[in-house]
Amino acid sequence: MAESGMIADYLTTLSAQLPAPVVEELADGLDQTCQRYLNQGLPPAAAARAAITEFGDPDVILASFTRLSPARHAARRLLASGPVVGGCWAIALITGRAWSWPIPVAARALFGIALASAIGLLARAAFGTRYRSIRRAGTAGCAGITALDTTMLVTTAIIIPAVAWPAILAMAASAARVTFITRILRPVLQG
Amino acid sequence: MRGEELKGHLDALLLAALEDGPRHGYAVIEALRQATGGQLDMATGTVYPALRRLERAGLITGSWSVVAGRRRREYQLTAAGAETLDGRRSAWRDFAAMINSVLEGRPWPNPA
Repeated sequence: MAESGMIADYLTTLSAQLPAPVVEELADGLDQTCQRYLNQGLPPAAAARAAITEFGDPDVILASFTRLSPARHAARRLLASGPVVGGCWAIALITGRAWSWPIPVAARALFGIALASAIGLLARAAFGTRYRSIRRAGTAGCAGITALDTTMLVTTAIIIPAVAWPAILAMAASAARVTFITRILRPVLQG
Repeated sequence: MRGEELKGHLDALLLAALEDGPRHGYAVIEALRQATGGQLDMATGTVYPALRRLERAGLITGSWSVVAGRRRREYQLTAAGAETLDGRRSAWRDFAAMINSVLEGRPWPNPA
């Protein structure tokens, strides 16, 4: 039927980006809107068209949900707090003379690349415009930052012989960030 | 009333629509339509993200129920939502009184 095809096309546009429960709710609302027009005596195709028009441009709806994306909010908070955690580690590494630590150059380079990739993913999630890619980038960025923080925590605990206060502060900052990510991971994954 | 004119007021309208009890998204839209005599001209699809935003802010809670074999998300005002609605109502009365005093030459209600 033409009317169900129109509504299905509309919902397909939304479901390409939004999580299933959100689309389910929108589908229910659209169905009831269409039903109201049918009850008013409109033919099915006209009722479907009127319901879609009343519901509005799917891009506007997608943009509204994108602004609410938990992944976007998580990425923005991690990007905002990043310089503080990074600053703590910079002080800890400089005062701890990190260049003299027995860490291979390849491992240091790998860490740098991983850090840059995680920041890039978070930036994509924070400023992206497509809901689904924001969720993917945000999830990957959160996982990357967690892995990097864990690596720093373990490495520092193993390598530094006498842990000084700058390292303790940096470790506390990383631990707090890992705790934050653990707390927000569920809504990020659920979308 | 056009959608653009509603900007900044939609949250208060949605909270007011939920004041009498829990409603699902379409019922909220219908309540607004009836309360305004069908004058509300807005893309109703944008009500759903607005409801999710209010839910995230803790002003309403959402839960799924099954109606006629179909899952439906229902929203309910929280205590914080009711408090926010009171505040928005009070702010709106003050705002409307101020605008009326200018546009219609009504005296500003001075408590002193």
